[in-house]
Amino acid sequence: MNRERFIRDRRQDWQQFESLVARLKTTRQSKWANGDVTALSRLYRSICYDLSLVQSREWGARLEQYLNDLVAQGHNCLYRSPPQSVRSVWDFFAVGFPQLLRRRYKPFLLALALFLVPLLASVWVGYARPELAELVAGKEQIDQAIESYSKDMYTSADSRYSGERSRMFGFYVNNNTGIAFKAFAMGVLVGIGTCYVLITNGISIGIIKGAILAEGNPTADNFFSFIISHGAFELTAIVIAGAGGLVLAQGILMPGQRTRGDSVRFHGTEALKLALGAGGMLFVAAMLEGYFSPLPIPSIIKYSVGSCLWLLVVVYLTVSGRERTTS
Amino acid sequence: MNETHKRKVDTRVVVETPEGVDFQFVIAGPGTRAYAWFLDGLIKFGILALAGTVLSVLGVFGEAGANVVQGLMLLAGFLMDWFYGSLFESWMNGQTPGKKSAGLRVVRTNGTPVDLTSAIGRNFLRTADMLPFCYTVGLISMLMTRRMQRLGDLVFDTMVIDERREWISRTAGLTATVEPLVRSECPRRFSVPDRTLSVIERLFEPDRIISDARREEIARPLSEALRARLGYQDPAPDPRNPHTFFQAQGRKHTQFILRVLKTFSDDPEGAPAAKSVAQSSPAAVAKKQLPDHRSARRVATRKSSSLAESADDEIVDVDGEEFFHAIPNPESGSSGSRNPSGGSAS
Repeated sequence: MNRERFIRDRRQDWQQFESLVARLKTTRQSKWANGDVTALSRLYRSICYDLSLVQSREWGARLEQYLNDLVAQGHNCLYRSPPQSVRSVWDFFAVGFPQLLRRRYKPFLLALALFLVPLLASVWVGYARPELAELVAGKEQIDQAIESYSKDMYTSADSRYSGERSRMFGFYVNNNTGIAFKAFAMGVLVGIGTCYVLITNGISIGIIKGAILAEGNPTADNFFSFIISHGAFELTAIVIAGAGGLVLAQGILMPGQRTRGDSVRFHGTEALKLALGAGGMLFVAAMLEGYFSPLPIPSIIKYSVGSCLWLLVVVYLTVSGRERTTS
Repeated sequence: MNETHKRKVDTRVVVETPEGVDFQFVIAGPGTRAYAWFLDGLIKFGILALAGTVLSVLGVFGEAGANVVQGLMLLAGFLMDWFYGSLFESWMNGQTPGKKSAGLRVVRTNGTPVDLTSAIGRNFLRTADMLPFCYTVGLISMLMTRRMQRLGDLVFDTMVIDERREWISRTAGLTATVEPLVRSECPRRFSVPDRTLSVIERLFEPDRIISDARREEIARPLSEALRARLGYQDPAPDPRNPHTFFQAQGRKHTQFILRVLKTFSDDPEGAPAAKSVAQSSPAAVAKKQLPDHRSARRVATRKSSSLAESADDEIVDVDGEEFFHAIPNPESGSSGSRNPSGGSAS
């Protein structure tokens, strides 16, 4: 076969392929006709063959470039990633996420320690050593926190607060989820950034808690009844996102049997899933914090609902998705 | 793919498909990516400003309304910060609006389109790449990797490719030192076919160990045939400095075919011959030539659709076939199987 014969014979297929790809590009994947798909894969394979023929016989740069373009287009058309559906999001939260977290319990426990130890230590500091607490967190900040929970601000039935709540909801999503995603992303700096985010957040939360405990009722009652419900989701999610960052760091530092690049890619995807799951939990937390926690209802109801929510989170993370693995 | 292939210093990356075919991508550099990033920043800002205006017009109902507007704006800001890039990249097959106008696309390193998870991941890791300021970490990472990947790309196995390919890079190193042919030097109209050009390229391949003198010898028949086709005449020696002329005699054929290669190889900048006419001749001629130049440029940029037709032209061009045989094939060893002067005797 010489070059001219080759071009003459194959040109029709090339043009057909070109128009087919152009048409399929503009239509949705679910609306592709059966014949189109068969024709696409047949033509694609034959054009791949044409390209390798042209490459091996060195039939000119322009012809090679043209076929290369065709192959690239067809490749993009055929090897598209499957469209994401609402169903797959549901599956992720119901099954994939809790399963993944249970498999990665070690980084989770480490992140929990990195968060909880500074938190408990600083609760003690805030409670027993107020002068040290002021050094760490700043006097104004502590006073402001105590001030805002000393009044019955969150229990007043003023209509004004319904709008306030929406603003706070937006703020919580923006701020808290941002912190969680940052805790994950900083894991790529071999985990140093993640540890920093976890520890500093643990300290700042702990100091406030300790200072408010020292203040006594009713401030403490207002405060703890306020945070117990959304805390179930919020604190857990921050730790999970931190665990994601540690998984990423583990991929870099401890590749095991894989090459370092492969290890980073494998662990990175799992770490990202942990962070996204944490993001979902933080969205729930922000809703609770915005609309439920400040409700003007007796604190005993908040405590009981909050305890139920803690139980719910623990059960969700330990049980959900189990039956599917065994069946 | 052998080692020497990988060590090439250029921005092309070869990807092998499951069908066993290699094809090439051009990797996008930091400059283009920064430009796309800047455009995306403007677009994000524009979206937020628009949303803010619309919402505040809708939210004039007292203080509660203003609070709701603030809440929604915070939500929108959050989405823009963390999901703008990833949502666009997964919906528009690897492109954000900024990347699209800069001609960039995110793909996986095996050439397949980026999926939602990778798109989200690589955009989340921007936080780390931005540290400590102005993407310093990302820039260092890009300089250290062959595919110019920042950390987010490395972890999620993606790369950013430049789709405005520059095919000229294939011969640029070879022809950097020579001038393209000027129309006034070549009175006869003849277009050198692709096959002849690739033969010239093969003659200059770096792994072909030929002495310059031998290369000159091999180049002679092809050079003479091409000279006859183009009607090219060597310029007379400069009487003030005849020394350079006689020095150049020893490699005039290799120089000539390199000039041919530079003139006729596919160039996205437009046909160089026409361009040099525009430079070297009086304004009137330049004006007349300009439309040609433009159409050549257009053909070059939308090559893919027009090649099927232009390939047809080459079938008619039987002369090209003769040139192909005019050069002694160094591989088959059947050197000079055809009389080279036969090509020029038509």
